[in-house]
Amino acid sequence: MSDLTVPILTGPTLTLTLDGEQVHAQDGETLLDVCRRAGKDVPTLCAEDRVDPMGSCRMCLVEVEGQRRLQPSCAFKVQAGQVVQTDSDKVQRHRQLLLSMYLADHELDEDDLPRERGTGNLLRQHVLNHGTGPDLPPINAPREYRMENNPYIHFDPGACVLCNLCVRYCDEVEAVSAITLAGRGAKTTIATADQKGLLDTTCEMCGGCIAVCPTGAMTEKPSLASNFQEEKVVRSTCNFCGVGCQVNLHTQDNKIVRVTSPPPGETVNDGNLCVKGRFSMEFVQHQDRLTEPLIRGKDGGLHPTSWENALKVAAEGLMAVRQKHGTDSLGFISSSRCTGEENYLLQKLSRAAFGTNNCHQCAAT
Amino acid sequence: MQKHNANRPAVMDLLEHHGGLAPGVSAKVSEETGVPEADIYGVVSFYTLLAKPGVARVCQGISCAMAGCDALADALDARGEPYEKVSCLGYCDQAPVQIDRELELTKFGPVGSVTPDDPDLPINLAGHDDASYNALAAFEEMEPDAFLDQLQSSGLQGRGGAGFPAWIKWKAVRNEAAGIRYVVVNADEGEPGTFKDRETMLRRPHRLIEGLAIACRYVGATTAYIYLRGEFPAPRRALEVALAQARPHLTGLDIRLTMGHGAYICGEETALLEAIEGKRGMPRLKPPYPTQVGLFGEPTLINNVETLACVPEIVLRGGDWFKNLGKTEPGSKLYCISGHIQSPGVYELPLGATLNALVQAAGGYVGTPKAFSPGGASSGFLPMDYAETPLDFKGLAKVGSMLGSAGVVVLNDTVDMAQAVRWQQIFFEDESCGQCAPCRIGCRMQRQAIDAFIETGKVASLEHTEDLHWEMEEGSICGLGMVASLPLLTAQKHFPTEFEGS
Repeated sequence: MSDLTVPILTGPTLTLTLDGEQVHAQDGETLLDVCRRAGKDVPTLCAEDRVDPMGSCRMCLVEVEGQRRLQPSCAFKVQAGQVVQTDSDKVQRHRQLLLSMYLADHELDEDDLPRERGTGNLLRQHVLNHGTGPDLPPINAPREYRMENNPYIHFDPGACVLCNLCVRYCDEVEAVSAITLAGRGAKTTIATADQKGLLDTTCEMCGGCIAVCPTGAMTEKPSLASNFQEEKVVRSTCNFCGVGCQVNLHTQDNKIVRVTSPPPGETVNDGNLCVKGRFSMEFVQHQDRLTEPLIRGKDGGLHPTSWENALKVAAEGLMAVRQKHGTDSLGFISSSRCTGEENYLLQKLSRAAFGTNNCHQCAAT
Repeated sequence: MQKHNANRPAVMDLLEHHGGLAPGVSAKVSEETGVPEADIYGVVSFYTLLAKPGVARVCQGISCAMAGCDALADALDARGEPYEKVSCLGYCDQAPVQIDRELELTKFGPVGSVTPDDPDLPINLAGHDDASYNALAAFEEMEPDAFLDQLQSSGLQGRGGAGFPAWIKWKAVRNEAAGIRYVVVNADEGEPGTFKDRETMLRRPHRLIEGLAIACRYVGATTAYIYLRGEFPAPRRALEVALAQARPHLTGLDIRLTMGHGAYICGEETALLEAIEGKRGMPRLKPPYPTQVGLFGEPTLINNVETLACVPEIVLRGGDWFKNLGKTEPGSKLYCISGHIQSPGVYELPLGATLNALVQAAGGYVGTPKAFSPGGASSGFLPMDYAETPLDFKGLAKVGSMLGSAGVVVLNDTVDMAQAVRWQQIFFEDESCGQCAPCRIGCRMQRQAIDAFIETGKVASLEHTEDLHWEMEEGSICGLGMVASLPLLTAQKHFPTEFEGS
């Protein structure tokens, strides 16, 4: 689940009353924007900065004077002179009753709290922060479960609050549209077309659905057993391509157990990752990984050597080819994993040091 | 994300053509329209006529349940014929009913009655369906403001259920700056107990088309949609014939008939817009209202069939004439009545007529009446103490009920109230769209609560029904969730002795 950012005022402002205090806002903002700027604890499940508001989880309802019913702050626009209450008795009663209802439609742990598996569960936090109303019997919603044999993405309908964030992210941010709300009423669930496995759909396994899921109904299969509270987080740069996506490497016992993106709005990848960045982490500590330079000896085998010697041997080899066959017999190809600076240096090596235009980058065609 | 030029509105007809939920159909329709395959699967799984095509359907609505719909289901079971039990088919006057795989009525009781021919009634179901389009011609001679004055003085309120003054919406759409506007007819009649629009389209389709043409001319729309309930093949034929006959009068107007596919919620005006656009019928957040941001994002006037059908006579005879037809509120009103009465049907009476007056028009009660629903499932139940209460918008709202679509159902003392509540709660659970949590979870809980009470007789089964109702009323996105608990809550309130378990 990702954090919501606090919006900054950039234009002319209007004034409204929020919980008895005068606050500023600008035209086009939602009440939730204003609440976040004022530091109000307005709980949300279905709100996410990167997708359009849907207003379906009903967690963020607030009282707006003149409106007959509570209104979703994530979608309700500010107006000058509005009088808004985020913590009135009515709002509190609503939150607690709604949380009671969510609990009756959610997998619970031994403490009767929304279960956490690997990742955090925002519903659990809301229950702990805001309390609940009456204990309601479980509704046993008749949701269809999908057979799923993809290696990365786990979906558990029993932990889903149907906020539809995964579907909206997949459509509005990734433009992939592999998943959908399906069915109707209490049977509603998240599905693929014909309930096929994700590998048979347009899914690119980016795992963005996991990143936006507020309850952990979508989780990383390889990390199911890991407890996020025991994980250490280390910031790094993904080296699968030259974009420079920032990644948070979650480690436990010095092993990477999960990769996430920093929150949207902070880094170049804006909260997004691709399948490689999010899921291809086994190689880092794989036993077959090369950790030192190797040189092929006369015996045909590879032998460890120093970087100094390896570079020397490579340079000698290249110079020998040039001497025997001419400069244009050489060609230089750089990897799409290289950064722009590295690509620049390689063409410099090709053109200036060796004198050939035979240089290429594997992602250039 | 759908392709730039995706043909989304074609999705539903293509799904119907290719076989609905069958594997591979979504992929095929995706190729043909440019809408993502998953999206299409989401649509097909939402609509019952698409998700389960080609089977007989037996109505489980309250009037059919009281008239013995279980016998129809048992007969199909005995023959081993596949069928679906469905919430309501909109033929409560002919209960119990069953439709075949082509959606045609195959089993039904006596045909319903209507008020006898009276030329002084604005709709006059039994009258000759005049195709002269004199009212349209008269409208075209009027100044738009003069017409609006008549509409306003007529006091015409939306006949779909909300009772919102028609003239305000008409004026709002006309005054919008956008170049394109639409008029949409809500003909997705589905409230259990309601079948007035069905009879209007069957008997007086020209009234509707003429009212629609006036609306289009007034608001400046050149395209209109009639969103017709999918289970209504006969009204569809009547409309198609009438539209062909009316063509000479409809120059420059494109009136499109869009069929529903089995979802009560699409009678909610914004869910209806979503359905026309080829999406899951999930209501939109309001504001913005359809008069500002409606069909395909353009200003849209949405009116019920009956509302539009009142307009031609208002043009011809004036607003005051219409207004004075009413008793407690303006105009006459089509009241549907079914259940335990002699002649179920549609009766056009002064708005504000009482239950007793309506039942008198319908030949009297059958047995000893005990309770009635004044406006479909959404209005809950009232005891016979209210038999002399005017059936109008404001008065019924004051007693915690509503006129709604004026689908009156009478229950006599052979009916157990808990059982009656159960039928209505099953309806709401089946028809909740599932979008927002209060309604999705609440509708199921309320049905489970009444089930548990019937099964165990324990009052504790019902201990949270009021809290749930409060949250559903306060927290739901649309009207369905807001009223879905009323059958249970009103029955508990008015018939406490029937809910005194152990």
